[in-house]
Amino acid sequence: MVHPLVSIRDLKLEASTNRGVAHILRGISLEIGRGRILGIVGESGSGKSSLAQTMLSFLPANVSGVSGEIVFDGVDLLKLRPSEVQSYRGRRIAKIFQDPMTALNPVFTVATHLVDVIRRREPGLPRKEALRQAEAALTSVGIADARLRLEAYPHQLSGGMRQRVMIAMALLVRPDLLIADEPTTALDATVEAQIVDLLKSLRQELSGSIVFISHHLGLVAELCDDLCVMYGGTVVESGLVADVLVRPRHPYTRALLACEIEDDAEGRLVSIPGEVQDPVAPMTGCIFAPRCPHVVEACRVTVPALRPSDSGRAACIRFEEIA
Amino acid sequence: MLRYFFSRLVTTVLIVFGAMLLLFLLTAVVPGDPAVTLLGPQASPELVKRFVSEMGLDQPIHVRLWRFFANVLSGNLGVDVVSGRSVWSLVLNVLPDTLILTFSAILLAVVTGVPLGIYAATHRGSLLDNVLAFVSVAFIAVPSFVIAIFLLLIFSIWLDWLPVLGAGRSGDFWDAARRLILPTLSIAATWIGFIARLVRTSMLEVLNEPYIRTSRAYGLSERMVTYKYALKNACIPTIAVLGLGLGRLLGNAVFVEIVFARPGLGRLIYGAISERNFPVVQGAVLVVVVLFVLINLVVDLSYSALDPRIRRDGAGGSPV
Amino acid sequence: MRALAALAGILRKVCGTFIGATGFAIVLIIIAMAVFAPIVATHDPDQLDVLNRFAPPSAAHWLGTDHLGRDLYSRLVHGSTIAMFVALTSIILALSFGTILGILAAFLSTRAESVILILFDVISSFPSLVLALAIVSVFGPSMSIVIIIVAITLTPHFGRVARAQVLTLKNAPFLEAERILGASGSRIIVMHILPNIMGTLLVLASMDIPVVITIEAGLSFLGLGVRPPLASWGTLVQDGYQFLTDSWIPVVVASLALAFATLGFTLFGEALRDAVDPRIRPRH
Repeated sequence: MVHPLVSIRDLKLEASTNRGVAHILRGISLEIGRGRILGIVGESGSGKSSLAQTMLSFLPANVSGVSGEIVFDGVDLLKLRPSEVQSYRGRRIAKIFQDPMTALNPVFTVATHLVDVIRRREPGLPRKEALRQAEAALTSVGIADARLRLEAYPHQLSGGMRQRVMIAMALLVRPDLLIADEPTTALDATVEAQIVDLLKSLRQELSGSIVFISHHLGLVAELCDDLCVMYGGTVVESGLVADVLVRPRHPYTRALLACEIEDDAEGRLVSIPGEVQDPVAPMTGCIFAPRCPHVVEACRVTVPALRPSDSGRAACIRFEEIA
Repeated sequence: MLRYFFSRLVTTVLIVFGAMLLLFLLTAVVPGDPAVTLLGPQASPELVKRFVSEMGLDQPIHVRLWRFFANVLSGNLGVDVVSGRSVWSLVLNVLPDTLILTFSAILLAVVTGVPLGIYAATHRGSLLDNVLAFVSVAFIAVPSFVIAIFLLLIFSIWLDWLPVLGAGRSGDFWDAARRLILPTLSIAATWIGFIARLVRTSMLEVLNEPYIRTSRAYGLSERMVTYKYALKNACIPTIAVLGLGLGRLLGNAVFVEIVFARPGLGRLIYGAISERNFPVVQGAVLVVVVLFVLINLVVDLSYSALDPRIRRDGAGGSPV
Repeated sequence: MRALAALAGILRKVCGTFIGATGFAIVLIIIAMAVFAPIVATHDPDQLDVLNRFAPPSAAHWLGTDHLGRDLYSRLVHGSTIAMFVALTSIILALSFGTILGILAAFLSTRAESVILILFDVISSFPSLVLALAIVSVFGPSMSIVIIIVAITLTPHFGRVARAQVLTLKNAPFLEAERILGASGSRIIVMHILPNIMGTLLVLASMDIPVVITIEAGLSFLGLGVRPPLASWGTLVQDGYQFLTDSWIPVVVASLALAFATLGFTLFGEALRDAVDPRIRPRH
């Protein structure tokens, strides 16, 4: 049996806030298969972006505790020293950020960004050759006049164009794992569709795995193989996209699907009544219980584990009954 | 870029003209008989007469204004009423001394202040960071002529390590260099603290920017992230504020020249004030103003060269 | 009452840090010295005692005497009155002009606005200290000239901030409501805008105090500001510096006092800024 590229086990992340310890991640377990695209879906505050940051060991300054493991190709990234983690970044792992407006350095040209990434992989490469590769990468992400655009500064490019530059940067790394953290959230709808199409068409070039983080189930359905639904710092359901979307087992996933069309700009699901549980509060039962239409007394006292279902795995004690 | 340059040029010219107008008006609004007030009661009648015709004080005001502007624009800054030499030659004589002092102070401040600021930003909360925080405030707060006096007292009088006064014998490089040390330090002390603090604050701001996280996510070395990707961004606000502070620096130079009895524009103006030699004051002050706005212009343009967002047109065309 | 409570809260915050508390203590000492100078001083600051020149510190003369045998301590105390007087008058002038011009710039036509802004640019582009030399050379040294020059130099500083603050306030919903209810422009400015921008402007003012002290001392040091025999800190430094070879005590004492004052006001100003709004940037 082939080992998954990444397997995360019982990952917990705590941060100290002025109201007390916030549980950002409350024990995440998931696997990312080799060459597969995993979609992670959840509302803002579900911990999906924190998960992405933790995978690159980018922890916010107020983090007070990390436990569990993130095994990447046999190595637990959480046990590595900072310099060792750094050797993974930009070689085996690359990331595309949410806001292309701020993710590129305003005082350097596109060329500088790309050439430095190429040189990170091949330090001695002549600038001319690096520039040629950079130009090719820009062309392959669908940027016309690639040679001209190399000399552009980020502010001279549109949002979609900048995100294409970010993707070109990621392509140049040829990473085993590409983390795309809400790469289209800051873009308008037509550009969003173009970027998703681009990612889809690049599957051949990106031989590695992709984690695609979104609050948008539709995009995930279009692009991903596997799906992982997060809520309140936990994984509530996972499985093949095709299975989970047809037979959602967790009430939260169902609610997500039901209100897919209505979510607002910030990714809050407007039609699920109630608020996401306060991260400072300890988890005593099912994290979704306060908002769940199917809640019973048992839900409030036992923390449900992820159990196999007919469409994957779900963390709900009643999914058989309510199906 | 061209348009920006042009508009900056226009402001610069406006400022120089404003200064000329002000300097001219000073002779017009002066209380009492201008010749007597400007030269002092002890001036000989002959001197007064020469002064009146030299400054055109017997002419109507608009004629004088026109003459003043025409003279200055043709490079004639007037004549020293005491020695009869042209003010321009007096200024040219001491200009190099002031320029050397100012630039060596800026240079020293930049080459020590920038690394200190970077270190403090990348080692936040360390001992040096805390010491620097206090010392830089102290140096910024204390007037440079006070620092000058203390340096003079400690290194020249008590320790007798460095020569006290003057710019040194002409042609003797080492002597001149030794005499430059204390004046340079006096001016630079304020600026080292000032620049270190500025760089620290802007570095800390920049290091939190998302684009720095991008560089780190792509595994670029911490050295490259700090010195290439962050430093260039942090330099922009630093240079902008530096430009604004240059006026103070020139002012500081005046005081330091006087404390150390160094030749220079400051001492020229000071000496001219004490001997009531108004044409020299007028001409030298004008040169300082021009110098100042020129430096500001250069700072401003280098600022825009560093920050592509200010440049109006560049490679890559318009946003698509 | 509410303003007093807010002030107390801010001062508590200022004194919460070591630097802030040090600065505040120094500021209090200097203000007390300035206000109660005749009581605090042990001698008449101008009383000559030529036989007792350059006396070292003693019980009779706490900090010794200067080149004319005058009591240095008493002269320093009276110097603080002058420094405070110059600082407060010039800053109040600059604050008033700057605020008026800034508010005008924000409310008048764009043309008037750009004229005011260019005026600010021109003033702050002048090396003001050097121009001050030219002005003094014509009018002769005097305290009022120092005050006027400093006030003009600092006006753009307050004006720019006032304008920026008014511009952000102008479209605030609560002012919109006032306007709809028919409040006049001047009423809105006096009742709503001024109280809102005063906090920031006062912080800026406090940060300018050491700058003004430095300029006044500097001009007086050159003999171009406050004229002897008035005991300005700058003239005290100058007197000491002139007679450096006779005794180093006067110049060191006067310089240290000056440095102590500017440092104290700087520390206080920065702590105040941090307590009120860390985003306020100093000018220099």
